[in-house]
Amino acid sequence: MTTKKLFQIPSRMRICAVAVMLATSALVFGQADLSGNWDNGSGIDFLNPVVVGDSVCVVACAEVTLIPAPVSNTPRAVPARPVYKAQFLARVQELNDTQVTTDPVLRCNPPGVPRIGPPDKIVQTPTEIIFLYDDVAGNFFRVIPVDGRAHRTDVEASFLGDAVGVWEGATLVVETTHFNTDSWLTDDGSFHTANLRVEERISRDGDELTWQATAFDDEILAEPWKIPVRYATSTDVEIVEAPLCVEQDLEHIVDGTHHDNPR
Amino acid sequence: MTINFSLFCTLLLACLVLSGLISPVYAHHSVAGQFDIRTPVEWTGTISKMDWINPHSYIYLDVKDASDTIVTWRLETLPTAMFRKAGLSKEQVMGAGQEVTIRGLPARDGTSHLGYIMRINYADGHFYQLSAESTR
Repeated sequence: MTTKKLFQIPSRMRICAVAVMLATSALVFGQADLSGNWDNGSGIDFLNPVVVGDSVCVVACAEVTLIPAPVSNTPRAVPARPVYKAQFLARVQELNDTQVTTDPVLRCNPPGVPRIGPPDKIVQTPTEIIFLYDDVAGNFFRVIPVDGRAHRTDVEASFLGDAVGVWEGATLVVETTHFNTDSWLTDDGSFHTANLRVEERISRDGDELTWQATAFDDEILAEPWKIPVRYATSTDVEIVEAPLCVEQDLEHIVDGTHHDNPR
Repeated sequence: MTINFSLFCTLLLACLVLSGLISPVYAHHSVAGQFDIRTPVEWTGTISKMDWINPHSYIYLDVKDASDTIVTWRLETLPTAMFRKAGLSKEQVMGAGQEVTIRGLPARDGTSHLGYIMRINYADGHFYQLSAESTR
């Protein structure tokens, strides 16, 4: 609306028009700008490669010095796990015991939500927020309407579900439903039902993105599973096309021996 | 800067014992369930191909057997994200055709010419440590 046209409107209506414009601007200003590329560690935050000349140690490398690193007496943090109702513990244990052959992620399936973690790139418009992922299983996307649209009912249940979002001040709150049952909440046999609902809360403070998710599955969980907050840092590094994911291990597995991961 | 290699391996082993980590992160991959961690071996040859894929990359190593016949070993290694975090590209890992000696673990199920990489030593003296020596 031009200034000239504004002053052609009767004064009372002009006051209302200005008030609406200011209110709308306040709403837009109240929302955070979450757009950009986000370095969230890709789930391998523990990896600290060591470069020595032209050589590189990639896995489980401490600082290479002539003085041995001190042994820490601080116990490692126990990874967060959902708490299941008693009648489902046996099934979780069975899946845990056979996870090297039953974990869907090991078959290159999409990891599901919240297991996929925070996005690697966010594209933000006034009506939609788009999450892009560069995952070991491939590239994925989620389109999150923030214009009041309801959940879709015209699509099949899927690994990443159907999401809608609302702004609570500068925090984006995303609710996702309509999941298939072919993913786990995390590793170690953490299955879920088709009634899973996940709430994610995303906010930004300067170059840091904060992501926190809570999984609700009343049929099988003793309580909502609130996973620890994860952080991502703004980066200039663009996401890339994920390499092919090709499962080639299952046919060669002899037994279920495996190792715990840091998360 | 030169490093004390035996000290480096000791530190590496200590770090591995503390971290309990030998496998990729996204799920609990079974290295010990597939490969014989008790009998590491070494293969010498040239890298003819690399599958830059997930959840594990594969290196194809052409090795001359006792009768001078070229036999190709398919050797499993890290997911691509771990290489990228370490600043390593596919081309760097392939080594531009130079001879390499790979220390690794043979397959447990008897599949011939299948193994898991612990370390690649290149003819020009540099190396990439991609897993750790472990008796677990």
